[in-house]
Amino acid sequence: MAFETGINKISRREFMKNGLVFAAGAAGLAAGYAAVPDVFARAVYSAKKDGVMNDKVLVMIQLAGGADGLQTVMPLQDPRIRTLRPRLSAAVDQALPLANTTLGLNRNLRGIKGLYDQGKVAIVNGVGYPKPSLSHFDSIRVWETADPTRKQMDGWLGKTIAKNYDSQGHPLVGCACGTSETPGALRDLQATLSVVNGENSFKFNGQDADRVMGAVYNGTPGIYGALFDTSVFTARDTVARLRTAHERYVPKAKYNDNVGLVYSSKNQLGAALQLAAELVISGVGAKILHVTLGGWDTHDQQLNRHDQLMAYVDQAVTAFHEDIAAYGMADRVLVATWSEFGRRPQESASAGTDHGTASSMFIVGDGVRGGVYGQMPSLAALDRGGNLQHTVDFRSVYQEILASHLLVDPREVLDQTFERLPFVKTA
Amino acid sequence: MDMGTTTMDPTDPMDMSSPEPMPEAAPTSAPRAAPAVAPTRAPITRQELVTGIAPPDLASGLDWVAPLDRESAKVGHLLRRTTIGVSAAELDRAMTEGYQKTVARLVDTPVAEPPALPSAENATSAAYVKLGDLQTWWVDWMVKSPTPFAEALTLFWHGHFTSDYRKVGLGSPFMYWQNLTWRRMSLGKLGDMLFQATTDPAMLRYLDLLTSTGKSPNENFAREFLELFTMGVGNYIEDDVKAAAKALAGWRQPQTQAMVDARLAALAKQNKPLPSNPPKADPVKTGIFDATRAYTGTLTMLGRTGAFDTKGVIQRVLEQDATATFITRKLLTYFAAPAPSPSWVARLSGSYRRSGYDTRALVRDMLLSPEFTAPETYRALVKSPTEYMVSAAKAVGSQTLTRTILVNANGLGQTLFDPPSVGGWGDNDYWISSNTMLQRANFITTALGQTKTLPLTAGADQRLLEGVLGPRTAAELAATKDERKRWYVLLASPEFNLK
Repeated sequence: MAFETGINKISRREFMKNGLVFAAGAAGLAAGYAAVPDVFARAVYSAKKDGVMNDKVLVMIQLAGGADGLQTVMPLQDPRIRTLRPRLSAAVDQALPLANTTLGLNRNLRGIKGLYDQGKVAIVNGVGYPKPSLSHFDSIRVWETADPTRKQMDGWLGKTIAKNYDSQGHPLVGCACGTSETPGALRDLQATLSVVNGENSFKFNGQDADRVMGAVYNGTPGIYGALFDTSVFTARDTVARLRTAHERYVPKAKYNDNVGLVYSSKNQLGAALQLAAELVISGVGAKILHVTLGGWDTHDQQLNRHDQLMAYVDQAVTAFHEDIAAYGMADRVLVATWSEFGRRPQESASAGTDHGTASSMFIVGDGVRGGVYGQMPSLAALDRGGNLQHTVDFRSVYQEILASHLLVDPREVLDQTFERLPFVKTA
Repeated sequence: MDMGTTTMDPTDPMDMSSPEPMPEAAPTSAPRAAPAVAPTRAPITRQELVTGIAPPDLASGLDWVAPLDRESAKVGHLLRRTTIGVSAAELDRAMTEGYQKTVARLVDTPVAEPPALPSAENATSAAYVKLGDLQTWWVDWMVKSPTPFAEALTLFWHGHFTSDYRKVGLGSPFMYWQNLTWRRMSLGKLGDMLFQATTDPAMLRYLDLLTSTGKSPNENFAREFLELFTMGVGNYIEDDVKAAAKALAGWRQPQTQAMVDARLAALAKQNKPLPSNPPKADPVKTGIFDATRAYTGTLTMLGRTGAFDTKGVIQRVLEQDATATFITRKLLTYFAAPAPSPSWVARLSGSYRRSGYDTRALVRDMLLSPEFTAPETYRALVKSPTEYMVSAAKAVGSQTLTRTILVNANGLGQTLFDPPSVGGWGDNDYWISSNTMLQRANFITTALGQTKTLPLTAGADQRLLEGVLGPRTAAELAATKDERKRWYVLLASPEFNLK
């Protein structure tokens, strides 16, 4: 039994938007004082005449910290990996070989390997961008804004929402699950977003608290006024929707956050993906969801740390797919992983690796045309910093997701056209 | 534009409050940004919503009316920025002293240290310090310290030279020591602080310097040192990271007697022989240099070739304009204004460098800058979760809310000793989301429920918020008679979320 994905059901009238302009208090800034970026100075409910009417859903999983590619998708026949990684290449011996390729998956990606064998996983290798940054924060920004020139401020997912969904939408169209803050990929001046850390705690406590918050956070002055008001409104709206979602959702897979990790995790990936599943399955209108798992900055003890994180991802993604599939929605929900960079091919004295460049991405769903895409970067042709040279621009992946899965115009988000990677089934 | 003239939408079905703002709470004139013509507003038509929750009216076009031409308001503004909330006693004292004297006291009073925490000092692999104990110890002191500015600065440095308990672990006193160190050094010389940050035992673990060797360097610390601690991305090249990583290698962590004893006891328990060279306690609380693991030879870093050691790297970094600019901007952004002007940053960073990177002088400069109390800085920063919760506790005069603060910290997005990344925490808009606003409001509900005796709300808006209330907050207060509910309105309001 599946509920109609909310976007089709909820009237566009549901959401007020009159192109309201929030006249910035920042306009009064005196000379000699830099203007506050007008992030909060514009209306966040923008008017869109024609929104997208389809039932496709995207779930992005951020592997924060720089997930090593070479211990995820491994070249099984290249002896150089043994030389570069005397200790870490032990992972190669336990890899799960991919049929008809020279590649193997991390030993702990058994569930994803199973889905791959069913043609439901696309693995894109060599993903990166020109002149790569080895800074976490700089490179995260590049991936979040889809802009290696660092000119864009808005996130690519936020922009997608603002350009395509807002008019018929409501705050849950874009939602970050399992976190307190809005991830950069979802940020956009014109997008309305939800952030839900945990469902159980997501309600206003105290008699009259909900009403008072709604009454007070209305036309709030100052440079943060619009952001405050939107956040409180979104919270109140989300409380109501989550109640509906929770009543409608019965999990049909087992999610588990009780995993062994070298360093305990700040994020509960299983719970976050279960919340994502609930929002999708219950039909409350979720379209673009974002979850994060940190801990990938494996400068030390990489062999175990990375493998354990792989198991965590595998378990959570597999459970999510099973849940969604049990509700007959696996063909319209796409899951994709991303990380700000891969890691250095050469291991260090700490039995870990430093920041690197290109890596592999996984795209999972029944709408995926399974297989391996992109050339695996050569270990014989490292750049002068000792890093892999990318073979696929990450925006090619975004483009295919936008154009072939979400069925929106990718140029509105990416500004240019990239080589097509046809990993989404098209009619 | 007159804030008091904003009328509430009479068709708002959710609005049950009185349309009349409290007369004493509504400022009557705006000193700036007064447009010649009132902002035009699109006509609002109410539409039926599935959830029945009306979206907010975002078209107010108003800014807070800055009262910073009044000395008392300047003092309130100063304290909100520097003392993690304002206790009644602190406010009364500062009001009597005035702005200048208060700045001098904040900057020059010797730091009061929190009481020692033996369970942290004696932590070992056999007797972990509890994270909750460490957090309780600090939050208690934020509420009670007679020198709260030191706590604000410690929180600032905790986010700057950050480390987390997950990787550092709790089987040593290292996280505790780091907290004490940042407090002691909070207004010292930057060069000393950079040396300490490099050799701090928690940092050695957190960014892997302790396993880095000259032969096989680990870049983790070196990169973040240049990118996050001193110069900022774009001011160095990858070769500088590689060179610094080599030059900084060679440090190991110290061991306390308790740690040594625990290790020997563990060996004995497993009936394992003692190592031929048994571990010994170190007399210091910083990293220990092991020349055999260091790099020997010359390197080129930031355009200079020579034999660099840790002090040499720090020296070279301090010679860069980017370092003074980066630290100055970060400090101003945290304490003063979300986007400090380049001219302000340049002026203060110039003095900072000429002073030999004397952070006390820089902080004094900042607080005495005309820009610090310019109208556009009024309520231009969002309180961090810790600041928000501690300031609420101080507002109601409670010293027993520490547990409630800690239980709520994660939901609000800031767990002490557990930053989200090596970049520490974000600021301002980073703290505002649907999740955090809901959790902030819920914290207030819980905190008020646990506070038996509340002070009267009469005058609280004047003391805490200079009487500058938005029309909706004023209206809600005016319509609320119950004292607890009035406190809820005040503390959950946007006004109180700002500093």
